[in-house]
Amino acid sequence: MLRYIVQRLIAMAITFFIIISISFFILRLMPGSFADDPTLPREVVEQLEDKYHLNEPLIIQYGYFLKDAVKLDFGVSLKVEPKRTVGEILASKIPITMQLNLFAMLFMIPIGIILGIIAAIRKNRISDHLISVVVVLFISVPSFVFASGLQYIVAFKWNLLPTVLSKEQVLNWARFKSMILPILALSFSGIATITRYVRSELCEALNSEYMLLAKSKGLTQLQATIRHAMRNSFVPLANIIIPIFTSILFGSLVIEKIFAIPGMGGVLINAINAKDHTLTIGLLCFYSVISLMTVLIVDLSYGIIDPRIRIGGRK
Amino acid sequence: MKNEKDIKLTERDFEFVQLEEDIKDQKFEGEAIGFFKDAFMRFRKNKGSLVAFIFIAIIAFFSIFGPAMNEYSFREQNPKLTFMPPRIPGIEKLGIFDGSIERNLRKTSLETKYKDSIVKVVREYEERGTEMVVARVNMYKYKGVEDKYFWFGTDYLGRDQWTRLWRGTRISFAIALLAVTVNLVIGVVYGSISGYYGGMIDVVMQRIVEILISIPRFVIIILFLLYMGAGIVPIALSLVLTGWVGMNYLIRAQFYKYKGQEYVLASRTLGATDSRLIFRHILPNAIGPIITSVTFAVPVAIFSESFLAYLGLGIQAPEPSIGVLLAEGQKELLNYPHLILFPAIVISILMISFNLFGNGLRDAFDPTLRGQE
Repeated sequence: MLRYIVQRLIAMAITFFIIISISFFILRLMPGSFADDPTLPREVVEQLEDKYHLNEPLIIQYGYFLKDAVKLDFGVSLKVEPKRTVGEILASKIPITMQLNLFAMLFMIPIGIILGIIAAIRKNRISDHLISVVVVLFISVPSFVFASGLQYIVAFKWNLLPTVLSKEQVLNWARFKSMILPILALSFSGIATITRYVRSELCEALNSEYMLLAKSKGLTQLQATIRHAMRNSFVPLANIIIPIFTSILFGSLVIEKIFAIPGMGGVLINAINAKDHTLTIGLLCFYSVISLMTVLIVDLSYGIIDPRIRIGGRK
Repeated sequence: MKNEKDIKLTERDFEFVQLEEDIKDQKFEGEAIGFFKDAFMRFRKNKGSLVAFIFIAIIAFFSIFGPAMNEYSFREQNPKLTFMPPRIPGIEKLGIFDGSIERNLRKTSLETKYKDSIVKVVREYEERGTEMVVARVNMYKYKGVEDKYFWFGTDYLGRDQWTRLWRGTRISFAIALLAVTVNLVIGVVYGSISGYYGGMIDVVMQRIVEILISIPRFVIIILFLLYMGAGIVPIALSLVLTGWVGMNYLIRAQFYKYKGQEYVLASRTLGATDSRLIFRHILPNAIGPIITSVTFAVPVAIFSESFLAYLGLGIQAPEPSIGVLLAEGQKELLNYPHLILFPAIVISILMISFNLFGNGLRDAFDPTLRGQE
């Protein structure tokens, strides 16, 4: 197990190194530089270039970049929030995004599981068909379409909830109320994925032989379902929940923009549009780290959740 | 005794033994059913997929011919006719899409400025001492252009949304088809080589793939587009960067399944070359799964394009795409919902239809998978 974790960590480090390298070369190969301004006197340009090592060969610049990137230091934002370091901006934005995403997870998991159970138990009946229609709808229609629809109908036409995130700094009822719509929009596709998964797992478990045994020793269908089938069908659920989290993280980029949530999404969009490349790359590296971590957690969780899968074991 | 090598056989040494005799086999009745015909018969029974296919066909039809259906072009600007609501001939008599929009007006201006163009007064209220009304105003009458019909309205530059929507759909389709085709070619070639030769080649090629998929998809796409700039080809290529990996896995698995089978061995014994074995004998087995996965890849590409447009990495103006129209419409959602309504409907129908169509194809090509999601 330890050996496997070490292997995985090395693989992660290689991937991260590749992402950093691509980022660096894209950053450097972009035409133009902030020391390009023709109105600047020659000495100032030289000093600037000296300060930021722009006058040195590309390979040495690459060395500097790598050294800083390992410390997750991506320099200063150039245009979006000038002079603040990328790290500071990240630190102020991450909690907002994370709060939203965690709420979305907390909402989607129970709903998805309940719908999945209903669909499996009432397989091929009207409620199963209804749920499968909902699942197709939720999986197919993009989250930003849902977001716009909810914002217009629920918030604007019916006036039930605020259209954009409230400016409250602390998490109180007013702020939570304004977070309901973004949470809904984010969680629909996750709900559909979980429902579909739980349904197929539970259907399989309900037809298995241990269910027959459980019933033949005298349990009712309900008891057997709750005590045996459900437990078994939930085991692999952890493996899909973590990838869903990654997809929510990317989905929330757009949802945050729609609901004017001052999180990572807005910053990334502003950074891309303002061509603030240091900030963009800092944000993307942060996203890469999170994605890589989730993949690692998923891989490790296979072994922990289901001991029958031996990780990294020799044949 | 003659040497064996001196024996020469010519065609005349042979003769047919049973040329005169009747063949007693029974003739087959009915026609033979091939692979595709078989699949089509199963597909036809799946009503949902059939309807989905019809929807896709309708949208594809409009994406080709829609922009030419009225007199406006996708880039023609009408500075005086910005944000016109939709007005469709025929349907306007029913009270929807009649070119009217709700406005908050001063009560006094009802009789003067908006005299003829009021459709109905919704409600009255008072704000800071002035009497106000919410009224539906027919913008076409108000602006004096009653002879004009913008079927889906106009945007902030007065550009006709009908033309832009279908042109955008066309561009989104183009991006999706380009991305999917390149994915298909790279994935099939890469997966075939990796799966057919196996061994060390397979190990090395799959390690490369593993590194590639461990890079988060949108991170690499955004980096690529930052460098390349947005356009039809760059966006399509950015979707290819990691998109072909799925096809690679599928093809490789097919090769592992079939390459050890007897018919392949027989063909190899007869002297078939590697390329003949790959392309004539093994790859055709995968045609069903390939078509299915291509179908599922199209909505993913359309979705990704829209996602990128929201991030500001969409097609450059003035060209529209579904994503660009959605992102532009989002800015005016609360005032002019018609701008986002039509692109949202089109993308939703496309996504749902392609998913249902893909399900139908999968069941048709491989009935053993039926019912799995």
